[in-house]
Amino acid sequence: MSQVQDRITDTVVTNDVVLFMKGTKAMPQCGFSSRVVNLLDYMNVHYRDVDVLADDGIRQGIKEYSDWPTIPQLYVKGEFVGGCDIITEMALSGELDSLFDDRGVSYDKDASEKIREANA
Amino acid sequence: MRIAREIETCLNLAFRPHRLKVIDESEKHRGHAGFRDGGESHFRVEIAADAFASMGRVERHRAVHAALGKDLMGRIHALALRTDV
Repeated sequence: MSQVQDRITDTVVTNDVVLFMKGTKAMPQCGFSSRVVNLLDYMNVHYRDVDVLADDGIRQGIKEYSDWPTIPQLYVKGEFVGGCDIITEMALSGELDSLFDDRGVSYDKDASEKIREANA
Repeated sequence: MRIAREIETCLNLAFRPHRLKVIDESEKHRGHAGFRDGGESHFRVEIAADAFASMGRVERHRAVHAALGKDLMGRIHALALRTDV
């Protein structure tokens, strides 16, 4: 495995929740990344953000790592979960709650319910 | 409309969907990264096909990406995707 792939593996196994995104959670540089940041922040999820714009190796490497062509990409306990559309759909259907419950990731269940009520 | 039609053709061939909508949303992203004059940079696809029944979410998206192919995927900046059965 290349050095970049090793670094990605290391990042996703040493952090419970990782978001590969354009920009940082404090300053997203893309609407799709921003949407996932807003969702995770609102749900009070503790996660590591990785700015792919700051590292071209990671920017290309992450697409090969997951066989997924776009950014953002969310990983939970080392496993690729999806991009912006999938994360949004899973939040609205309650599947994201189940995933966090199963993997022992803490989040604000009330906030998550509020998201669903607001989009019902 | 050229790229939109290519997307439609690829997806019709691959999945025989009973519902397919390809929407060019490029204008909504004017001024954002990836926007180019003439549009055809940002697309939203809504597709419903029986073929998705046995697939998980990630698998469905991967199948759509594969059906469009690397070349077409490389020419568009963003693809918002909604897959249904």
